[in-house]
Amino acid sequence: MRMDTVIMGGGLSGLTCGIALAKRGKRVAIVASGQSTLLFNGGSMELLGNIDGKAVNAPLEAIAALPQDHPYSKIGADRIAVLADEARQLLADAGISMEGSTARNHWRITPMGIAKPAWLTLSDHLRLDDLNNLPAKRVALMCIRGFFDEPNGMLEHGLQGLGLEVKKVEFTTDDITALRRSPSEMRASSLAKHLTSNNALKRLAEQINTLAGDADMVLLPSVLGQNDDSDVQMLQGLVSKPLRLVATLPPAVAGMRMQTLLRHYFRMLGGNYLMGDTAVSGAFDSDRLASVTTAKLGDMPLKADNFVLATGSFISRGLRADYERVYEPVLDLDVDADSDREQWTRFGVLEPQAYMRYGVATDGNLHCLKRGKPINNLHAIGSVLSGHDAIKMGDGTGVSLLTALAVAHDILA
Amino acid sequence: MAESMQLCNISDNNFEQCTKCSICTTVCPVAAVTTDYPGPKQAGPDGERYRLKDPAYYDKMLKLCLNCKRCEVACPSGVHIADIIQQARMTAGQGKRASLRDTMLANTDLLGTMANLVAPIANAALGLKPTKLVMDSMMAIDKHRTFPAYSRTKFETWYKRHAASGQEAMPHHVSYFHGCYVNYNFPKLGQDLVKLMNAVGYGVHLLDKEQCCGVALIANGLYKQAKRQGTVNATSIRRSVKEQRRTVLTTSSSCTFNLRDEYPAILDIDTSDVRDSIMLATRFIYNLVDEEEIKLIFKQDYKRRIAYHTACHMQRMGWQIYSIEMLRMIPGLDLVELEQECCGISGTYGFKKENYERSQAIGSTLFKSIEEAKVEAVATDCETCKWQIEMSTGLPVENPISILADALDVEATRRANGLK
Repeated sequence: MRMDTVIMGGGLSGLTCGIALAKRGKRVAIVASGQSTLLFNGGSMELLGNIDGKAVNAPLEAIAALPQDHPYSKIGADRIAVLADEARQLLADAGISMEGSTARNHWRITPMGIAKPAWLTLSDHLRLDDLNNLPAKRVALMCIRGFFDEPNGMLEHGLQGLGLEVKKVEFTTDDITALRRSPSEMRASSLAKHLTSNNALKRLAEQINTLAGDADMVLLPSVLGQNDDSDVQMLQGLVSKPLRLVATLPPAVAGMRMQTLLRHYFRMLGGNYLMGDTAVSGAFDSDRLASVTTAKLGDMPLKADNFVLATGSFISRGLRADYERVYEPVLDLDVDADSDREQWTRFGVLEPQAYMRYGVATDGNLHCLKRGKPINNLHAIGSVLSGHDAIKMGDGTGVSLLTALAVAHDILA
Repeated sequence: MAESMQLCNISDNNFEQCTKCSICTTVCPVAAVTTDYPGPKQAGPDGERYRLKDPAYYDKMLKLCLNCKRCEVACPSGVHIADIIQQARMTAGQGKRASLRDTMLANTDLLGTMANLVAPIANAALGLKPTKLVMDSMMAIDKHRTFPAYSRTKFETWYKRHAASGQEAMPHHVSYFHGCYVNYNFPKLGQDLVKLMNAVGYGVHLLDKEQCCGVALIANGLYKQAKRQGTVNATSIRRSVKEQRRTVLTTSSSCTFNLRDEYPAILDIDTSDVRDSIMLATRFIYNLVDEEEIKLIFKQDYKRRIAYHTACHMQRMGWQIYSIEMLRMIPGLDLVELEQECCGISGTYGFKKENYERSQAIGSTLFKSIEEAKVEAVATDCETCKWQIEMSTGLPVENPISILADALDVEATRRANGLK
């Protein structure tokens, strides 16, 4: 089967790159082995959140000072602002409405109640632009009875630490109580599926309006809007005070919404999304990749002019490790990783971990390297790239979006 | 040493590789509409740990699983979640007899053979309100359902009378596993395939012996009978592939998935040596065009807007790309790819009275998106999705092979492929 471009990996970077190419009329296939880590995303994108443990205020300036091996440096620090605007537009075109600025980070609130720097946050989720000028004085934190995915006490404590007066309100509705019959159903994604009818949303709004008291903002766990933001907008219309969603533990409804909308947009543009398939090997023709074989398409490999590796990091199996080495499992590409296993990890789970920076080795144009030589029609994008650290630097989603767009431009040039 | 120890520690159904991320539960169509079903993570890998300790931990609510396999498709860790659930059901069901209703629904070929003999009477009777009410109350087959009409002439009979003699003269050859639906209910699909393949120089042959693939038998717990029939099919397929050098084509995604993947996974019938030679006709045809081995010429005046629905087992096989790209080759066809949602019928599941409401609730998202697509017909590779979508939306549903055959300029195609 012949395509213009074949993308291995169907998460944030793969879909972004696929959309950018399909929009320009290219025939694109995305091979997506299962759902992606986007489902762990609580509704925010970040460009650069931290340097050496300190929060970054102005990400563009900080990016200019990053080392040469960081993916942003390879794209070119001067292009970041333009690509970031383009990414935001692409998300908006897909129906994902987000707010924020590249000039100055805002704060997102994690389910544990910790404020972390972010670039974009979903318009219906809690966002703090300035910790010295909070959007509310008193907030009502609506806690769903029996709900698994929100550690309410920690969230309350965290919000109080930021200077908010928090009124914790436990509540339920008939629709929610019905779900408690099955203990495994009290998860964010299950609630989002069951709280979709107009009547269920009206009952939810009634409870909130009755119990929110004198708060000037209502916070509700992110349990609405799995496919788009229409349910949230309806609830916001029914609640008398400003209402914002707060991130829950994963799988996150916000991430599911973003994944669904991006995939839908890609399909609308004529893209082929091969859900549940996995690239298993490739055939090389001197310095080019000629075709990729997948588990499901079997003896009919995918041929293309260009290939993109967007298979993610260890958690998505884009990188693997055994007792001897770290490796890239599909094409056995060169990886940047310590050969000494002792160096991979450090004691203390919250300490910076070297393996988080491991990834596929690339040249200055993000072409993958195999035995030291660049493969001229194979780029790597997103979390599979080396030289960045999504956890400690807060640059994961930004690297995914921006490397995807930079590579799409390179392919289209 | 260390590496082999790691490999030894993984079961056949790899339930140890579950990272408890819960993504499977977010895509489960059953958990989305009922709290009675614990969801695939709980029913599959989590429950398996308990069941290994003591089989008494088996939860009878596992019967609500549709076996749609969407959990497996979504799993980022490649765990065979639905297989774990199927195997648990199989173990728990050992020694129990299936009900008359389940046996009847499962034996699609037996039912078909009887109905074909009296097709006009059977169709009329099955469509009558009193019959439906009797079936509803006595057999728990939901009264809202309409049984697919039975054809008067079986596909095999038509083939022997009208098509068989012309096949040997063709330059290339394939076999056709037609399945019960084509044989008893809708021979036209088989006729369309013969027309299409003959137009590009391929003779179509029946297998030595074809029996029902057994997908409905497995779903209804009749494993022994499924294995018996599966063994007969595997022998016929092996002869076609190994001795006659003929690829075995199919036109039903569920039969195909069953022959290729459920035979070894559920029935322990090894088909690995011929698996690559069993495929949907859309995949075979797309590849021939892609490799420029054949040419298809389409009618000039063909113009339709059609939505494509990816059946669950089609998604599990990952082959929708062939049907979609094949349909996109038709110049006058405006194709809308629908979001991949379960239609809720899942073979015989939706026919059962106790499942009817759940079945319709599961399909409601899909029906809405079909309505919004403003199309004149829906294309899908699965016959039971066809019944469900036709009943629930009122739109005609066609197999991609029939659409292709309909759009094809047969004479021009024959000439373009060097046939007289």
